[in-house]
Amino acid sequence: MWKRLLLIRGAELAVLALLAAIPLMVDNSYVLGLLTLLAIYGILLIGLDVTVGYLGQVNLAQAAFLGLGAYAAGLCVANFDFGMLAALAAALVVGLIFGTLLAFPALRLEGPQFALATLSFAALSATVLNEWEGLTLGAQGLQVSRPPFLGMTLDAPGFFWLCLLLLALVWMAMRNLLSSQWGRAFEALRDSPIATDAMGVGTYRHMVAGFALASGLGGLAGGLYAFNFQYLQPQSFGWDLMVILLLGVVLGGRKSLWGALVGASLIALLPNLLSNRGLFQIFSAIGLLIALAAGGQGLLKKTTRPFQALAPVAAMGILMVGSLIVENTEDWRKAIFALMLFSVVVGLPEGLMGFAARFLTKLFHIEPPRLPAPASLDTVLPKRTANGGALLELRGLERYFGGVKAVDGVSMTVQAGEIHGLIGPNGSGKSTAVNVISGLYVPTGGDMLLRGKLLPVGSLFKVARTGVARTFQNLQLFGELSALDNVMVALKDVYRSPLPLVLLGLARAEEKRASAAALALLELVGLGDQARSLAKDLTYGDQRFLEIARALARKPELLILDEPAAGLAHPDVNKLMDIIKRIHERGISIILIEHHMDVISELCGVVTVLDGGKIIAAGTAEQVKRDPKVIEAYLGVVDDPAGAAVPAQAG
Amino acid sequence: MKKTILAVLTTGLFSLQAYAADTVKIALTGPYTGGSAPMGVSMRDGAKLAIEEINRAGGIQVGGQKMKIEVVERDDEGKNERGALIAQELSSIGDLAGVIGTVNTGVVLAGDKYFQEKGITKIITPAAGSASMTQWSKAGVKDLSIFRFSADDGIQAAMVVEEAINRKLTKVAILHDSTNYGVSGRDDLLDQIKKQGNKLQVVATEKFNIGDKDMTAQLLKAKFGGAQGILIWGIGPELAAVSNGMAKLRMKQPLIGGWTLSMSNYIDNAGKNGNGTLMPQTFIEDPITPKVKSFIDSYHKAYGVSRIPSPMSAAQGYDAVYVFAAAVKQAQSTDTHKIKDALEDLRDPVKGVIATWKQPYGKWDPANEQTHEAFRRAQVVMGMVQDGRVVFANKADRQRLIKEAGK
Amino acid sequence: MYTLLIVQLAVSGALMGMVYALIAYGFQLTFATSKSINFGQGELVMLSAFFSLTLIDSGLPYWLVVPGGMLFGAVLGLFLERAAVRLSLEQKGEGWILLTIILGLLGFSAAENIWGRDDRPFPTPISSDPLHFFGIDVTPLELSVAIGVLAVMGLVELFKRKTLLGKAFEAVSADRDAAQLMGISATRTIQLSYGLSGLVAALAGILVAPITTVGPTMASVLILKAFSVAVVAGLDSGFGIVLVGLFLGALESLTSFYLGSGWREAPGLVLLILALAVRPNGVFGKASIRKV
Repeated sequence: MWKRLLLIRGAELAVLALLAAIPLMVDNSYVLGLLTLLAIYGILLIGLDVTVGYLGQVNLAQAAFLGLGAYAAGLCVANFDFGMLAALAAALVVGLIFGTLLAFPALRLEGPQFALATLSFAALSATVLNEWEGLTLGAQGLQVSRPPFLGMTLDAPGFFWLCLLLLALVWMAMRNLLSSQWGRAFEALRDSPIATDAMGVGTYRHMVAGFALASGLGGLAGGLYAFNFQYLQPQSFGWDLMVILLLGVVLGGRKSLWGALVGASLIALLPNLLSNRGLFQIFSAIGLLIALAAGGQGLLKKTTRPFQALAPVAAMGILMVGSLIVENTEDWRKAIFALMLFSVVVGLPEGLMGFAARFLTKLFHIEPPRLPAPASLDTVLPKRTANGGALLELRGLERYFGGVKAVDGVSMTVQAGEIHGLIGPNGSGKSTAVNVISGLYVPTGGDMLLRGKLLPVGSLFKVARTGVARTFQNLQLFGELSALDNVMVALKDVYRSPLPLVLLGLARAEEKRASAAALALLELVGLGDQARSLAKDLTYGDQRFLEIARALARKPELLILDEPAAGLAHPDVNKLMDIIKRIHERGISIILIEHHMDVISELCGVVTVLDGGKIIAAGTAEQVKRDPKVIEAYLGVVDDPAGAAVPAQAG
Repeated sequence: MKKTILAVLTTGLFSLQAYAADTVKIALTGPYTGGSAPMGVSMRDGAKLAIEEINRAGGIQVGGQKMKIEVVERDDEGKNERGALIAQELSSIGDLAGVIGTVNTGVVLAGDKYFQEKGITKIITPAAGSASMTQWSKAGVKDLSIFRFSADDGIQAAMVVEEAINRKLTKVAILHDSTNYGVSGRDDLLDQIKKQGNKLQVVATEKFNIGDKDMTAQLLKAKFGGAQGILIWGIGPELAAVSNGMAKLRMKQPLIGGWTLSMSNYIDNAGKNGNGTLMPQTFIEDPITPKVKSFIDSYHKAYGVSRIPSPMSAAQGYDAVYVFAAAVKQAQSTDTHKIKDALEDLRDPVKGVIATWKQPYGKWDPANEQTHEAFRRAQVVMGMVQDGRVVFANKADRQRLIKEAGK
Repeated sequence: MYTLLIVQLAVSGALMGMVYALIAYGFQLTFATSKSINFGQGELVMLSAFFSLTLIDSGLPYWLVVPGGMLFGAVLGLFLERAAVRLSLEQKGEGWILLTIILGLLGFSAAENIWGRDDRPFPTPISSDPLHFFGIDVTPLELSVAIGVLAVMGLVELFKRKTLLGKAFEAVSADRDAAQLMGISATRTIQLSYGLSGLVAALAGILVAPITTVGPTMASVLILKAFSVAVVAGLDSGFGIVLVGLFLGALESLTSFYLGSGWREAPGLVLLILALAVRPNGVFGKASIRKV
């Protein structure tokens, strides 16, 4: 454990010290300028990575936030005589505000629409900066003077050290934030916004927070940018810069602070790299070799598709050939970026740092941090006393989709402490009913009451908060998170530390307790030894169990299981029944949708049967199995040649 | 780790350049790509023509030896942040004798401060925005290493207004682009109208952005205001869009504006809609004297063209190099500070293609920018676009220049 | 007098708006089959326009250049599908957003170097001498834009409804997996949609080039407006985009006159953000039902 700490923290400190020392060793204003730019880009890319890496969205507005922050800082100094600290704070706040505003329309958006929203915002802010000449002087540009910092005037090395200091602070705060529940929530919402809401984590608030954070950092970088160049123009913050930033974050490595730093160095040094032909040829040759190695490895191990292995080789090959025959590499700058970006996005999606991290951890035999001992199940999932009574009541519930009446007047009651089966042929409305209850759909008519109070409608998040948890018919796991993280992110009432403490890294005790609690739940479903495996790498059966463990993290009163046995092999079905029994022992009420009649018979005290959106039978499992209407619904009717319908033999 | 290696490499790359000592190192910087490229490229090519001539004759006499001129080229793309970066980079080269170039006023404003900081001698050509020099007089600096070798916008605006008045126009519209160049051009025009007796009524003042293709809104406002002439300040592609827009709206008013109207990308894109457009020029591509003819022919031959993209820029680049070389010779040194001193007090006249330069500069006086401006009204004539070329608008100017060259 | 001016501005603007609608139509085609759109469509428009310019310079008559350019656009569309889209679709991810942006960047750089960075005039036999209808000036060139747009959209719609291949299109749009189970190759259909999208974009470039001149940046502005039209109308709204295109074009023209040409882009951008915020499926689109 100390080895890990030493190597990683040690590396961070070493790099910081080295960067800080360079101005003392070398007296060259050009190099200093580049290093300052590096620090500024570092902050900018860390922010961008929150949205691109963690939230998994293509954010095309970061260059615009840089501009907004820069102008905010510059104008505060020019018009209100702000000192540097105040101006930088203003820049950060401006970024925060605009980011939050942008996040609102972005609320309901998926991938391409989100990218479009950010693109439009960027174009709009460029237009406003350019046209509002009264404020910004538009295309003529704004001269910015560098104000004193806490009373002292900063010379070039001084300003560089300030930028470096801010980078270090941002680094620390982000490291702490992203390894806390916030980081997990960001990643969860990338993988499944629906499940994130259903687990009570709240896509809305986290997406807005993530965006605000990214844009706040963008604004801060903008303030530093303004005081670095001391001359601002709207056109500097447009598409050209945005592409370079994307290049930095993708090439350096997503979801990685080191990746952001590596990316920042690459793009700060890019112009020099490109103008020196020899250096560029070496660079593209190295790139080609990496592409060949990665591609070859992928093909041999069959971990990548042929296109993924070959296309980067082709792209880097073109780059290599280009570097040899092209006269002026500067002219082809965009093409060079494009080829590099293409190779990395297709062939090395984790970027250079992602690739290097795996390599380095193997080299230094760095083990992942040890997990704490699992907590006792009683603390994690306290037994509920059976106090009977109706838990969930549906009164004439209706849900129509245009002309299709998926749920057509369903009234049923789930008593506290029972396992209530909900069965019916495909298309009978079971999943729809459960989707309405859990808040995915708004009911067209009817009422739902939880312990006598009206259940919130149309909001997975609000329903989750009332003590209802669910699993999904089509798995909605957080694929890129580990099994442990999947459960940890859903834990209720554990994350109480306020944000400032999290940023300062003082919330670790809480994290440990959360890990222990999550481990207990994983053990309950038999996944204790798979805690660190990524959810997407688990077997299908294990994935189903993981969803259950995750739902349990909510300490639910009512657990809805939507076809948990679908596609499970026989041994796993038995395991599932065991788990459900154990859950039931702890006093949790369960609604179980299933097609496996033996599971239903074994587990359910009460069964409701749906067909065509209506209830056709209700009672014990035995009663329902013999009910002629149920048999007819499932098996159909045999026509007697004599004319009378004869129900087929129950089986 | 990676960052440090790269940082060390970069430092290394730059220190390597500091030790070649027996050439006169001159940097030529300007927009070689982008909307202002015709000017940048012509300036650079005209300058290189002069440098080649000087080097062919052995070089400049410095101390005991003849030193050849070594060129460092940088493309600022007309972008301010590129200009700033380039200026930073060039000013850290230890043995730079001087810098010649820059076309865009914004680039000058973003970058020149780095040269002034290190006292590196720069001759701005052909950037004409007044702000390039007034920024120093406003700051009140006592010692300036920046010079301009170009007819500044004050002179040009005066001529444009004069031309409008001479044509008996009473109502004009002013169109300008939104950059420093356009905005300060507009201010210069308004200033000149006032100075010349307020004889012109400005019925509309409209701006356009770089990249705009559709000028309908602006032109309609001018048309409905009753403008009899359009005074314009912008660069090539947008100027062409204005001419083409005027043709579409059947507007036949004369278009008079800054010297950027002589650029090839205006002339070519406006086609026949550009005929009759007027602009001030310091040089017309018309072989009126043997020296001018020789310059034009050498340019055509060296660069394989039948028409110089921006004749003014080429001639100015050419003459600027000769003026700089004269200063180097007088200073007997490649030290940029000594060259600056020599420039401020050039003793021998320099025979250029635009004029014979006698003491073009004096000791910098913050109260009077003209001390570092080489051009006066006398060196500027009115040019006119005709069938794809720029010709003398007034025959009288042509005769006068022939006569002066004869002296 | 003044009302005439406003109508003139609106009409000229609306005709330009048809170009946005045409490009938006291309977006609809690929979105229909694969839920993806080409973020580099602007570069595709521009490259096709440049290619057509080269064809014209080489002496080919205009009526051959148009199909030639459209074919080039189709080829680019097919290339794009293979290089940028197919992998992400196989992985059921959204990598195509970045990848289409990247290929657009590559196209931009190639264009800058092959054809130069300056804007060049695009010769056309269609005249720019205005015709007069009720006091409004309309050039045949502007009319050709409207006619071309409607013709191409009409043809493609006819194709979709009348031919077997077209029916396959509809099937894949409705349910990709089901269509594949029925023996329809989803990949081929998606390829086709990208080819058509490229073809349509190329035509847009050829129609608009004489008005805007041809240059590397000619379509970067167009594309955002096309996005606006596509999103505001709804990515599955068929002819709704024509209405929105007309509206947006007119709105832009009027904004340019009243607020200044720099604000021209603003209405489209604001509309886009609002549309995304309030009605992500567009004014004419169908609301999608989430299934879990």
